[in-house]
Amino acid sequence: MSGQSRPPRSIMSFLPPLRAHNGPLTQHLVLEPGRFGLGLVPAATNPDATAPMVCGYCSTGCSLDVHLRAGHAVGLTPTADYPVNQGMACPKGWEALAVLDSPHRATVPLIRNAKDRLEPTDWHTAMLHLVQRFRGIQQAHGQHAVAFLSSGQIATEELALLGSLAKFGMGMIHGDGNTRQCMATAVTAYKQSFGFDAPPYTYDDFEASDTIVLVGSNLCITHPIMWQRVMRNRHSPQIVVIDPRVTETATQATLHLPIKPKSDLELFYGVARILIERGWIDRRFIESHTEGFEAFAHFVQDYSLERVSAATGLPPDSLERLAHVIHQGRRVSFWWTMGVNQSYQGTRTAQAIINLALMTGNIGRPGTGANSITGQCNAMGSRLFSNTASLLGGREFSNPDHRREVARILELDEALIPSQPSWPYHQILEGILRKEIRGLWIVCTNPAHSWINQHQVRDILSRLDFLVVQDMYANTETAQIAHLVLPAAGWGEKDGTFINSERRIGRIKKVRQAPGQALADFAIFRLVAHYWGCAALFRQWDSPEAVFQLLKRLSTGQPCDFSGIDGYQALEAAGGIQWPYRDASRDAGQQRRLFEDGRFFHPDGRARFVFEPPRPQPEPVSSKFPLLLLTGRGSAAQWHTQTRTSQSAVLRKLSAMTPYVEINPADARAAGIRPGDLVDVVSQRGRATAKACLTPTVQPGQIYMPMHDEGTNRLTHAAFDPYSSQPSYKCCAVRIELHHAPA
Amino acid sequence: MSSLPVRVAETADPRALWPDQVAQANSGTWLIEMLLREQATLPAVETAVEEPSAVERFASQHAMGELAREAAAATGDVAAQPAPASHYRALLPATPPGPGQQYAFEVDLDRCSGCKACVAACHALNGLDEHETWRDVGLLVGGTSSAPVLQHVTTACHHCLEPACMIACPVEAYVKDPITGIVKHLDDQCFGCQYCTLACPYDVPKYHASLGIVRKCDMCSSRLAVGQAPACVQACPHEAIRIQLVDLQQVADEAEVAPFLPAAPDPQFTLPTTSFRTRRAMPRNMLPADYYELSPQHPHWPLVVMLVLTQLSVGAFCVSAVLNQLLPRAEWTPFQPIQAGLALCVGLLALAASVLHLGRPLLAWRGILGIRHSWLSREILAFGLFALLATLYFAAVMVTAAGAVDLSAWLRPGAAVVSAVGAIGLFCSVMIYAFTRRTFWSLGRTAIRFGLTAALLGTATVWLSLVLQSMWAPSAALLESGQRFDRWLAVALLAIAAAKLFWEAALFRHLASRHMSCLKRSALLAVRRLPRLTLLRFVLGGLGGIVLPLAYLHALPEDAAVRPDVSLVYVTLIIALTMAGELLERCLFFAAVAAPRMPGAVK
Repeated sequence: MSGQSRPPRSIMSFLPPLRAHNGPLTQHLVLEPGRFGLGLVPAATNPDATAPMVCGYCSTGCSLDVHLRAGHAVGLTPTADYPVNQGMACPKGWEALAVLDSPHRATVPLIRNAKDRLEPTDWHTAMLHLVQRFRGIQQAHGQHAVAFLSSGQIATEELALLGSLAKFGMGMIHGDGNTRQCMATAVTAYKQSFGFDAPPYTYDDFEASDTIVLVGSNLCITHPIMWQRVMRNRHSPQIVVIDPRVTETATQATLHLPIKPKSDLELFYGVARILIERGWIDRRFIESHTEGFEAFAHFVQDYSLERVSAATGLPPDSLERLAHVIHQGRRVSFWWTMGVNQSYQGTRTAQAIINLALMTGNIGRPGTGANSITGQCNAMGSRLFSNTASLLGGREFSNPDHRREVARILELDEALIPSQPSWPYHQILEGILRKEIRGLWIVCTNPAHSWINQHQVRDILSRLDFLVVQDMYANTETAQIAHLVLPAAGWGEKDGTFINSERRIGRIKKVRQAPGQALADFAIFRLVAHYWGCAALFRQWDSPEAVFQLLKRLSTGQPCDFSGIDGYQALEAAGGIQWPYRDASRDAGQQRRLFEDGRFFHPDGRARFVFEPPRPQPEPVSSKFPLLLLTGRGSAAQWHTQTRTSQSAVLRKLSAMTPYVEINPADARAAGIRPGDLVDVVSQRGRATAKACLTPTVQPGQIYMPMHDEGTNRLTHAAFDPYSSQPSYKCCAVRIELHHAPA
Repeated sequence: MSSLPVRVAETADPRALWPDQVAQANSGTWLIEMLLREQATLPAVETAVEEPSAVERFASQHAMGELAREAAAATGDVAAQPAPASHYRALLPATPPGPGQQYAFEVDLDRCSGCKACVAACHALNGLDEHETWRDVGLLVGGTSSAPVLQHVTTACHHCLEPACMIACPVEAYVKDPITGIVKHLDDQCFGCQYCTLACPYDVPKYHASLGIVRKCDMCSSRLAVGQAPACVQACPHEAIRIQLVDLQQVADEAEVAPFLPAAPDPQFTLPTTSFRTRRAMPRNMLPADYYELSPQHPHWPLVVMLVLTQLSVGAFCVSAVLNQLLPRAEWTPFQPIQAGLALCVGLLALAASVLHLGRPLLAWRGILGIRHSWLSREILAFGLFALLATLYFAAVMVTAAGAVDLSAWLRPGAAVVSAVGAIGLFCSVMIYAFTRRTFWSLGRTAIRFGLTAALLGTATVWLSLVLQSMWAPSAALLESGQRFDRWLAVALLAIAAAKLFWEAALFRHLASRHMSCLKRSALLAVRRLPRLTLLRFVLGGLGGIVLPLAYLHALPEDAAVRPDVSLVYVTLIIALTMAGELLERCLFFAAVAAPRMPGAVK
């Protein structure tokens, strides 16, 4: 033995301690200082780099700093200094990476076999199959017999490639996007009123307003990060909320007007009349910058207090109060979301709001505007570059000059550009019914759940000779009925740009490997171009960044001109850039709004007053269906058909686990329904089972169901706005009865 | 499909007439391989290329502005604050807590819009596991159709002045920081008994099954220690959550006069420190959105087994001890070996079952650390002692029966001592549940329930041991006294079983109540959510405790002994059915309890 003997260790030292203040389990949750200004972060995911990128859910366009370890995303935090979200995110943003790891991801192409099951295949077979079937249909039934439906959820570069490939390369005529379901109305309203689809605002306007009028918008839940800007408004603003329900946003209002559903037109025409009669209008602005005011003033004379009060169900003095609040405000901003857009008369309603802003001169100044809040993260990219309803860059297919211009920029034969615009979504579906369309390529959207009158849609889709669905997840309702499923990489697994509600272009990046053989939509489009044999048309389109350069050229001279942006790096350095951005001197500043000079995009520079008498409700309540069904967002943790949000355990916890319907206690009592009872909601078109939630926040005679539940659209009535073709999701007649489980 | 290129070439579509493309379509696989390769490549892996990789490029931009902070963070310099600090500085107290103060959450209800970012941020910034969340957002709804009110409520741990979790914990896995007042859970100390999850009226500690421990909010104490805001405070877009200093006396005073949130559990129990502020009036009829939700609770099977078996064991010793006191020694002594042996075995089985309940059973020995405050520690100690004494008692019985040493003089007081210690253990079991202040588990109700189970199963066990003993060692004397006991035991068992079933069924009178009381909730849970379990419980209990004993008594001849094998069949059936019935009853005891919690959202 050596001379140095250790002190004998007592037997106790081998036992676990009596009191363990530390140890492996404690270490699980230990935090350590993170770099990049992160503060303390979990040690296990302390990043060695961060990559800011725009979130892939809604149109707010928050920036998220994705935490990387060896280039691989391990976590994220909202970007502290991004002008949109200023360090905040909603639960969907916080959980954006979690949904990528789902077991429901599509990882290989799937092909429907003889036993009517989807079975795995390889990309080569899938591509040959796609080309063979689509070509076969086109040869037998004409070029137009194959159509596509795209999305507001993929990058602008991808949308442009898809639209160009489909129309210029594959000869399709018809294609539309799920943006038809969310902002088509705003697009049409802006085009007609302003001369271009141009939401005029910047988010700073939320903070600069002294009067904020929210129409059909539950901002707290649908756009929590925009509500953040309202909460940061230091002017103690008047907040007017116009919504049939007492929503989270309505409870925060200084004036809530619970109007009868779809009576907005009467309301705004009535308020316009009051404003005009009292002289509470901006004559100078009207005369210098608008067209059609006199006719409008004449038109609204008919909207007396009594008439409007009867139509809206509001007492006359609250109409007067609304007019007064608008008059009192020095910086009045009007905001609308789906309560307006998703209506059979949405375009005119949006324009009634625009009219109020124009006549009171509340546009082009900080804290003002007639502002459409968009739904999807890249709805705006889709509006400008999806090449569906309008030609690339907000142009018209029917305009030969526009076609020539695009052909020149893209270096392709002008004859390849169709001269007729696409059918809108519902006409494509009708085309399938008439067998004029027999092949459909659905990219990143889920119509078998989301489209109005779902039974009918599923029936229509089932009539297709060939249905291709390209999606991140193989379990979507639409993928389940496809003949061919193409596995797509998702947000976080690919590069590109999105354009948010305030026209800000931001980056998305590849920070994760896609599972299995999933490919970026961009890559899939390249692959299709190659197999179709038209890849030569897209020689310039070999990477998203190269396409971004093309898009810049396509935007040049258009209202949406962003040719001054150097490239992806410049976008990041600036914290996102709003269009227009022609150069640094003309378009300086991080928060820019349109029409500061009073010039609109019509050739004469004047905005238009557009108006029309209200239409009757397409499906009024009856004795058989005595209740009006309203639909909308359930929680901030859910997104659309939940293909993504249902993949996160945290988001699932934050939303209702079972379908539910909100009923006024009086209606429930009359129907013998107790809280928590299972009920059937029945319309002429279908039946959905849901749990009864009794709440006075919905008015008697109305019920409310979240759109995320698959059953909801079995009930909805397929009525459309005649100008925008947007479905009217928020008013159909239903009845409610206790659910009797089948014996 | 291989004919495709031909088709392509044949088509009249001018778009397809790119000769090189047609050729390529033949071998599109190279493109597929290239695209898959590209897809699999993350920017950072491209470090071999000449230009800076995309990650370096997009990370550098961000990093440059952060160099100073980064350096500071690396050296632990807390003065250099992270990026969101300017936002949350106003949401933290300017000074640390003074004497008589502690940190507390303050929620401005007027700013809580229900976005739930706090929950997701807490999950992300604390590195919680996939399904784990420490914060929750509930919803209160009330008012009238003309003036409806809805209010989202974000809540987490209330860092109570008298934390029930800490008082309940048998292993001292909770500490309340003497300066900050934060109630911290020591993850490595926890042995996963989950008692705190039953004790906390706010449903705060959450069991993490795969780790075998409970985890909970610690107000991000490590962040607060370096001047950073807790995750939820940092992440609330509307600044609805802040940390404030509260006066301990004031917290106690306020708990005396007002509920701290409508429809939340009574703050008197634990003195929660969170304050919910609003300038708006809350109507009196504010109810949680999940108020009428009926969620069965976890049945805790090992606890079900442990409770029923310990009660059987204690009951058997007690019944035996009573008979021991009442009867002449000679008459009773012969029955003892089997009776004591059976009771002991079941008791040991019960203790084994209780260990199975632990997330980390190897640390079971820590269970008595909380003896000064935890009824669970006391129960563990009492039943440990009970097992030891019962073993010694059994040894004494056997030694005496074998005639080796005559300890018969000690057996009567011995049985009394074992029974008394067992009864103390049973009382501790009752107190474990009574401590939670759940109405369904109140002291009286739980005592009656556990006591009757002990009496019922104890009687049945004694009866069984009697039958067994008379079969194995038949003697005239045994048969004679056995005959007498038989009738007594059958009648006793019948009476106890009937009383217990009647008492349990009395719960259903609450179904008629207009008020959604805790007991109505339990009754609804039993009949609506757990109807099969409930039905089976009463069927088995009725068969084993009433029908069979009646049949036995009916079959019992007036003055002759029943054939032991017939008795054995009856008694075995009776004990099996009543035991099964009691196990199901105990399962309902756990599953149908109305657990208090903060207002919840639509589920």
